[in-house]
Amino acid sequence: MSSGRLISILRSASFRLPLLYAVLFILSAGVLFVTVYWTATAAMQSDMSAVLRSEAYQLAEVHRRSGLTGLADQITRRINFRTRGPIFYLLQAPNRRVVVGNLPGMPPVEGSIDFVPQLEAPEADAAHPKLMGFGLTLPDGSFLLVAQDSTRLTDMQHAIVRAFFWSSGLALLLAIVGGAVLGANFLRRIDTITRTSRAIMEGDLSARIPVRGTHDEIDQLVASLNAMLARIQQLMDGLRQVSSDIAHDLRTPLGRLRQKLEDAREHASTTSDYQAATEAAIEEADSLLETFSALLRIAQVEAGAQKSGFAEFDLSELLTDLGETYAPVAEDAEHPLDVQVAPDIKLTGDRQLIAQLVSNLLENALHHTPAGTRLSLALRKTDPGFELEVADRGPGIPAAERGKVFDRFYRLDRSRSTAGSGLGLAMVKAIAGLHALTIRLEDAGPGLRVVLQTAK
Amino acid sequence: MKILLVEDDKQTADYIAKGLREHGHVVDHADNGRDGLYLATGEKYDVLIVDRMLPAMDGLSLVKAARASGMKAPVLFLTTMGGVDDRVAGLEAGGDDYLTKPFAFAELRARIGALARRPPIVAATALGVGDLEMDLLARTVTRAGKRIELLAQEFKILEYLLRHAGEVVTRTMLLEKVWDFHFDPKTNIVETHISRLRSKIDKGFDKPLLHTIRGAGYVVRAPD
Repeated sequence: MSSGRLISILRSASFRLPLLYAVLFILSAGVLFVTVYWTATAAMQSDMSAVLRSEAYQLAEVHRRSGLTGLADQITRRINFRTRGPIFYLLQAPNRRVVVGNLPGMPPVEGSIDFVPQLEAPEADAAHPKLMGFGLTLPDGSFLLVAQDSTRLTDMQHAIVRAFFWSSGLALLLAIVGGAVLGANFLRRIDTITRTSRAIMEGDLSARIPVRGTHDEIDQLVASLNAMLARIQQLMDGLRQVSSDIAHDLRTPLGRLRQKLEDAREHASTTSDYQAATEAAIEEADSLLETFSALLRIAQVEAGAQKSGFAEFDLSELLTDLGETYAPVAEDAEHPLDVQVAPDIKLTGDRQLIAQLVSNLLENALHHTPAGTRLSLALRKTDPGFELEVADRGPGIPAAERGKVFDRFYRLDRSRSTAGSGLGLAMVKAIAGLHALTIRLEDAGPGLRVVLQTAK
Repeated sequence: MKILLVEDDKQTADYIAKGLREHGHVVDHADNGRDGLYLATGEKYDVLIVDRMLPAMDGLSLVKAARASGMKAPVLFLTTMGGVDDRVAGLEAGGDDYLTKPFAFAELRARIGALARRPPIVAATALGVGDLEMDLLARTVTRAGKRIELLAQEFKILEYLLRHAGEVVTRTMLLEKVWDFHFDPKTNIVETHISRLRSKIDKGFDKPLLHTIRGAGYVVRAPD
């Protein structure tokens, strides 16, 4: 692990978090320690002093019954036989003369006392133990002291402190090591995301972040990032396709425009020659502008910007009107048009766009079928919604090409010579998409049937 | 006519102003929204031609402000934004018509003509030109007393032409007003329907009423 990597681990959020927890743990352990230390000490102290007090009062009772001599005998016995454990005694006459005891004489005190005596007893040679005592002045003025070694208390206190330091140290170590391991792992996954996004920024749009399959939060984040990337790539591909289509397909008409102007410059000699050339150039420019605005409209519709203009309208009425509009046109072009519209079918959408959709389909049928071909426009009620159908008895579209005819500028080979921008069906698809209508191309045997249907 | 043109693109403004002046109109030009509003509220104009996107103050705000201060003149919006929503926003702001750039000059001229001579709001029950009469209530048409049977769409076309009798009506105007088509159909819908209408109202009569103006549109007018 290089030092740079170590620093980055130390800086990483996933390391700092366990560290913070470790500190919190130590703080709470500290509180626990103080409480335990204090309670245990207090309990032990009160325990010890209770023992001493009861011993002292017991002996005071002996003194009351058997006098000073009886008490001295009793104490001597207790010292010799250690009947009460390692307990120290001192009995002083009122004149401060030590009557009996294994403690040096001292000024009398009343109640609890902590002290370090100058012991003469052989068992206390090694150290001068700290004692805890209980003093009592007896009715005849003599002084009785009962004491106990309080080293036990200090030992216990030391044990508590040691246990606390060992356990906290171990916990801290675990937190640091665990944090470093977790942090390194987390960091590796973040690194992968960073590396992938760098690769994408450098142009590799197909790069994706690997998913670990643990379904944790990072996996979920990675999955949605990947979905976002896929969507962006799809949009970018679309954009790239459109711009190359535009560049490619607008070159031809622009070239024609240039040719016409050049031809006029070289060959026109009379005003009427120039006039004709200008007319032709304007016509060419108009058709170019038309293509541009069709592209713009498709883009607007695809962006869903026109959804704000949605309102409910009578689709049956619109189709009847369109039938009446196109019947004379179709008749003049020797294409009999049958119109069959079921009444009272409503649609929430953009009336003008639906009118354009139907017009585009009818005009396609008119333009791409030979004279005499029968056309039909039908609207039927289905469950749920409706089915709108434009069909012809013409040559149809080969199955292999049916998916492509909705692309911008796509034209069947046999249609290349006829007028048209190749944008009509792209617009149809965009409008259908905006209205959540599914679109289907079928073989009408012979001919083409286009069916638009409310999405289930 | 006195026309106010508010347009920031100098080339477009010169082209429009020059064309309109050649046709005998007086044209004032402002190249930003603030000056446009100043002129619109200070002077009296027959028609305003306003670009949607302008420096200092956009076209919508200009027209809203001018309308709020009592300006009554009809407004034609010019724009490169051809979406349906934009058109609706323009009409809601107090515009009367809407023309998407680029446009043919004849189209602009026809629309200005139609705006400046808007028929009175009072609902007429009968329209007519020469010996042609249209009864809007009974929905009947007669010429020289002889009943002419028209289909619904033919009736609508004739009604629109009669309401603008003597004025040039373009193909686009008919598509928008009669069919509510805001796109350019690739078939000759207008020509077909006009030709059928013409055969019904003019066939068998010496003097035609419905005329085609080449490169511009159609006009219905009384014979001289």
